[in-house]
Amino acid sequence: MLTKEQKMKLYTNLVRVRKLDEIMVKGVLSGKVCGHWSSQKGQEAVGVGATTFLRKDDYIFFCHRGHGITTVIPKGISPRAFIAEHFSKNSGACQGMGCLHVADMEYGAPGLSGSLGGDFVLAAGMGIAAKMRAKGQVVVCIQGDGTYGRGTFHEAALMAANWKLPIVWGVENNQYMVFTPTSDIFPKENMADLAFGYGMPGVVVDGQDVVAVFEAFQTAIERARAGEGPSLIECKTYRIEPHTYGMVDKRCAGLRSPEEIEPWVKKDPVNLFQERLLKEGVLTQADVDRIDREAIEEMEEAERFATESPAPDPQILKQVLYWK
Amino acid sequence: MREVRFIQAINEALLEEMKRDETVFIFGECVRGGTFPHTNGLFEKFGKDRVLDTSISENAIAGAAVGAALAGYRPIAELMFSDFFLIAGDEICNKAAKWRFTHGMKLKMPIVYMASTGGYIRSDSEHSQSVESLIMHTPGLRIAIPTTPYDAKGLLKTAIRDDDPVVYLYHKLLLTKKGEIPDEEYTIPFGLADVKKEGKDVTVVAVGFMVDLSLGVANKLQERGISVEVIDPRTLEPFDIDTIVTSVKKTKRVVIVDEDTLRCGVTGEIGMQIMEKAFDYLDAPIQRVAAANCPIPAGWYLEEHVLPQPPDIAAAILKVLGKDMDISDMKKEKVGFDAVKAFGDLGITKVKQN
Amino acid sequence: MDLTKEQKIRLYTNLVRVRKLDETMVKALLTGKISTFFHSGEGQEAVGVGACSFLREDDYLFPSHRGHAISKTLIKGLPARIILAEHYGRITGCCDGVSGFHTCDMKLGIPGMSGTLGGHFPLAVGMGLAAQLRGKKQVVMVIEGEGTYARGTFHESMIMAATWKLPNLFIVENNQIMGNTPVKIIHPKDDFADLGFGYGVPAKVVDGQDVFAVHKEVQTAIDRARADEGPSLIECKTYRIQPHAVGLPDTLLGRPRTQEEIEVWRKRDPIKLAQKRLLKEGVLTQVDIEKIDGGAANEMEEADRLAWADPMPTDPKEILKKALYAE
Ligand SMILES: Cc1ncc(C[n+]2csc(CCOP(=O)(O)OP(=O)(O)O)c2C)c(N)n1
Ligand SMILES: Cc1ncc(C[n+]2csc(CCOP(=O)(O)OP(=O)(O)O)c2C)c(N)n1
Ligand SMILES: [Mg+2]
Repeated sequence: MLTKEQKMKLYTNLVRVRKLDEIMVKGVLSGKVCGHWSSQKGQEAVGVGATTFLRKDDYIFFCHRGHGITTVIPKGISPRAFIAEHFSKNSGACQGMGCLHVADMEYGAPGLSGSLGGDFVLAAGMGIAAKMRAKGQVVVCIQGDGTYGRGTFHEAALMAANWKLPIVWGVENNQYMVFTPTSDIFPKENMADLAFGYGMPGVVVDGQDVVAVFEAFQTAIERARAGEGPSLIECKTYRIEPHTYGMVDKRCAGLRSPEEIEPWVKKDPVNLFQERLLKEGVLTQADVDRIDREAIEEMEEAERFATESPAPDPQILKQVLYWK
Repeated sequence: MREVRFIQAINEALLEEMKRDETVFIFGECVRGGTFPHTNGLFEKFGKDRVLDTSISENAIAGAAVGAALAGYRPIAELMFSDFFLIAGDEICNKAAKWRFTHGMKLKMPIVYMASTGGYIRSDSEHSQSVESLIMHTPGLRIAIPTTPYDAKGLLKTAIRDDDPVVYLYHKLLLTKKGEIPDEEYTIPFGLADVKKEGKDVTVVAVGFMVDLSLGVANKLQERGISVEVIDPRTLEPFDIDTIVTSVKKTKRVVIVDEDTLRCGVTGEIGMQIMEKAFDYLDAPIQRVAAANCPIPAGWYLEEHVLPQPPDIAAAILKVLGKDMDISDMKKEKVGFDAVKAFGDLGITKVKQN
Repeated sequence: MDLTKEQKIRLYTNLVRVRKLDETMVKALLTGKISTFFHSGEGQEAVGVGACSFLREDDYLFPSHRGHAISKTLIKGLPARIILAEHYGRITGCCDGVSGFHTCDMKLGIPGMSGTLGGHFPLAVGMGLAAQLRGKKQVVMVIEGEGTYARGTFHESMIMAATWKLPNLFIVENNQIMGNTPVKIIHPKDDFADLGFGYGVPAKVVDGQDVFAVHKEVQTAIDRARADEGPSLIECKTYRIQPHAVGLPDTLLGRPRTQEEIEVWRKRDPIKLAQKRLLKEGVLTQVDIEKIDGGAANEMEEADRLAWADPMPTDPKEILKKALYAE
């Protein structure tokens, strides 16, 4: 059972991530963001539920969508470092070299593979390290549904199950891979069914419900910390925004219909949780307003910081190849 | 003749070849409509049997192409980004390239592996690479890199009709480029370089998008009295060394430009072939311009320090000529990709940057 | 559908033919006629024979390296002489003697063999796609060792085959050892067949020593595939009797393999099992058995003699000139 404070924390993180997403959208439109922005709006409950209560020394791998926003922010990376990285500034988490590849090992965030699915095998390796170190660390690896098509998942899942590595595999199933509906490219309704072949638990949860997500991950994380091996959790959610911000919103060759999107907008994870907490009396309208305001202030301040930071010095390229 | 965009030229080649030969089919991620719109309209025309969307499965996409080719079809495997050739290395460099040889040379392997290539897009090190040296290095793979809409269409049609595996790379910055193509059917044979601009003082051999950059530089130098010949090999395998040698005999000076890394990049191979075939005609050491030995940074303040820029090409040309000249005006201009604008032009984006 | 008497005899005869050819090849290796290696498939014959004896000629088959695929290719129709000639580097081999052990004959639906294990899965899916487009009800069979099923290519291929309902059969020849590693220490579950569930692909475990059981299960899967109902996964439990490759030290995890374990499996030799059953059913007599044995021995002896006497390529340089491209 979650305490009142824990619920507030989950809610606050949902709001912070949402506000940061809005800042990033503005950043893309004003030409400040280097590259693109794949908004994760409407999918925040997955990452936030999975990572808000992780230990600082736990490891996370995240899907490309949102460039890690829903996991690295709850994990502790500052919005300043996140935004500055996207603006390619030297104060960014990777000194402006990575842009969407936000990383900070201090918070157990090793980064993002540009070729999707590259992270599965890395997660297996970190799982081996975590197991050897025997400090009860876990690895949470959340990837998109399309990414689970990669063979690297099979190889990593076999290793993890065979060696009982402390890994939680998360599927953020937003029902699309770019313009292709997932149902057209995966043979089964639930990707969680893949778990059976490896002998690990596989569960499906409502990805709009941050508490349900949290509980499913908590069970799996405890199992992993206890040395009982990996689990697979599929979170059913939906991509509200186009694949990347500003793209025409398609479904296969045609346009995506508003009727398809509308019911999911109604299941917005921030609103759902807010309503629930108001009803439970955990939050008052005043709290809601305050959390909103504080999140906006935090993100706007971070945006100013990033804008004012200097660009990286090209001299840095002399040191990029090797440690020494 | 009519004017089309590069991407439309690719699209026309696909449409025409799929219509001409029903064993041609295309599959990969988002080919029913996707990241790059060169496959648009194929699904509506040819249906789900011949235009298939896959999951993110580069190994299976590249490998299934080999299987379908063995079974008598002519698959086109779309891999989206040439960086992913490294994922499917076993299927492309081991299976497609070697299967026929391994099994006694009785089998055909009519595959086209298509992907976007190159940088200047401010994406990341795994979406910006040029892989031509890797492909050219591998015996058994043909490689075509068009630089104009005309070449894009003609080379793709040849690639599809070829009985061997062909890697066909389209540069992201060329997709919106316009150019003339004839109304009637045509193909361009492999192994035939194209002199994109005639000149008498120096030969620039440029690969892929570097042809565009080199032409820009050549035109600027023309105004300053330097006559540059720009040669586009169009296919690196087969490679037309003869056209280059003919040019070298005339100009006696060579600059080679490629977007892949300098070290072990194709500039080294081309330069060495010129040494072997035309050393006696050279009046100065060959100059090369290519990417630094460094992954391509995502950050836009840094990319320009890694990938070749027009002033680098101009400086190399001046060096091979032993000339000194002020080219500081060229340094101002940035090579870059405005994704929102480009995709807006192609009808993928709806938002304009402000 | 029950097997006819003739079909049963055919299965039995094929088991014996494969065994005799395996023995011929072991001898050839030991006498230096085959260079480098031979991965004997002794004791595993029922998998290939059961799976391939009733394939159509235009069905496609991707076999594994075990036994250099003879329990599949010989059965699919590739003559022993041609298999041996290829191993001996003779011009009469199925690949003009250049392939080593990568046997291939497209007319028999044998597209060749991958050097990197697991390479077949996506290729088979591509052939499945071609078969589906062609609409002639061909099936595509891949038979691989269990170790090979750990490759990511399997996952990607299963997704494609299942999504598009391709006429593919994935057969696991589980001989319980991968190189010198017991599979139970590298695979998290007892049954590889369990992998089918995640893709919604029907999966079965069968006794890989029982040629009739293998055939029955595979036939059901073939019927499904021909009826456009999609792929199947079948795991055949068997055991590797010989070392990974003949002549290599026979170790597991760095220690010699115990003879007791091998003896247990020798008792379940697929030929002996089939013989016992057919004698009991009255399908075969002792005289028949001796005749089949003698026939197979003669077939392989003659094949070996002819193959060895076949000419070597006269001009290797000419061959290499054609190496790279079709024209
Ligand atoms: C190996 C690889 N293949 C293809 C791509 C191009 N790509 C970028 S995002 C994307 C879609 C990912 O789909 P999914 O995993 O479902 O995540 P979503 O975008 O839905 O959040 C693709 C195909 C890539 N980055 N890496
Ligand atoms: C991709 C790849 N990895 C490793 C090898 C080396 N190798 C050859 S046979 C073999 C063992 C294969 O085990 P399994 O699939 O169980 O088949 P078995 O030998 O038991 O019949 C290995 C590892 C290879 N050929 N290809
Ligand atoms: Mg998705």
